[in-house]
Amino acid sequence: MNAPFYKFGYFGDELYLIAAFTIGIGFGFFLERAGFGSAKKLTAQFYFVDMAVFKVMFSAIVTAMLGLFYLSWLGIVDIALVFVNPTYLLPQIVGGLLLGVGFIVGGYCPGTSLVALSTGRIDAVAFLTGIVAGIFAFGEAYPAIEGFANSTALGTVTLHEALGVDMGVVVFAVVLMAVLGFWGASAVERRMAHKAGAAI
Amino acid sequence: MKTASHKLALLAIVLGIVALLGEPQAGGSVRLNTQELAYIVEGKIDHVDVEELADWIVQGRSDYRLIDVRADEDYASYHIPTAENVRLVEFGDYPLYRNEKIVLYSDGGIHAAQAWFLLQAQGYKNSYILLGGLELWKDEVLFPALAEDASASARAAFEKRRSVSAFFGGQVRTGAATVEETYAVPAPKLETAPNVVIPQRSRKQKEGC
Repeated sequence: MNAPFYKFGYFGDELYLIAAFTIGIGFGFFLERAGFGSAKKLTAQFYFVDMAVFKVMFSAIVTAMLGLFYLSWLGIVDIALVFVNPTYLLPQIVGGLLLGVGFIVGGYCPGTSLVALSTGRIDAVAFLTGIVAGIFAFGEAYPAIEGFANSTALGTVTLHEALGVDMGVVVFAVVLMAVLGFWGASAVERRMAHKAGAAI
Repeated sequence: MKTASHKLALLAIVLGIVALLGEPQAGGSVRLNTQELAYIVEGKIDHVDVEELADWIVQGRSDYRLIDVRADEDYASYHIPTAENVRLVEFGDYPLYRNEKIVLYSDGGIHAAQAWFLLQAQGYKNSYILLGGLELWKDEVLFPALAEDASASARAAFEKRRSVSAFFGGQVRTGAATVEETYAVPAPKLETAPNVVIPQRSRKQKEGC
């Protein structure tokens, strides 16, 4: 066991930040290359015309999941030390809906808006101004909504613990979901393209 | 393009099926270099002095975790400010990170030393023992004594220890008092200890998006 590097003390704070910066740059670069710096490409997802967002995100999830699972099986990563966001059920549902509405209306999610900004898109500037204003408003309103924000705390919940099955079963199920999802997404794309063609 | 994504999908499915057989290890063991440990122990570099620790607390430093490995009731009756109570059997579940500086103490030091080995065996390289434990903390920090025939420079140096002692709610032993009498002095109650501001440890959330 020698990963996560930071928690085993192989990374100091400085190296940790440098690593985070490097990975962040790489992440942004590949998002841009996948076309995610364009609000048109991103919102096409919601009209089922172009399912690239779904495919890219789901492949990232499956890749990371398989990587973590196998590395910890090989004894390289201590999976108990990998950070899992604690669950606050209701606040996270509300937050997720808010993010979804913002995504459809604004055309970006927070990460992709920064990607779009890096290529100088004006709409990304507007979107990011909204993000900053939202963060500020949230901070100011926090005392009033603190109770709600901390409600329905379930702690750290993972699927395999909640379902009472082995981690491998969840891995298999998610892979199956991904593959079926990809197949379905491609089918939807073909249908939408056909429809669009028929309309013309 | 078509075939490439098909191959990837096939690979993912195969890996997913194999995953059904595997159970990843959690919180596993690390390789222990006994020679290195022996050098650390012999070189006494696994120690933190009570004066050093007192300085850290006075300065309000937060770059260390102070762990009291004694029983709950001992911890409740007195503990060094900023200490967290973790008994030996609880170390498995207690949230400590391997990159944190961890200082362990018990009454004399034996349990602390044993806890030190447990932590080292789990890869907590940055763990230390409070030398002399709580007993020396009481002797040196809470109730320091000045010999009758102390030199002028020793008396001057003692002034700092006097103020540190007062900070932690202790008092200076007079020259006549014996060690036995010292132990008769009740350990200061935490709630009556003046000036001691226990910094509320805000667990740093460095993670998540």
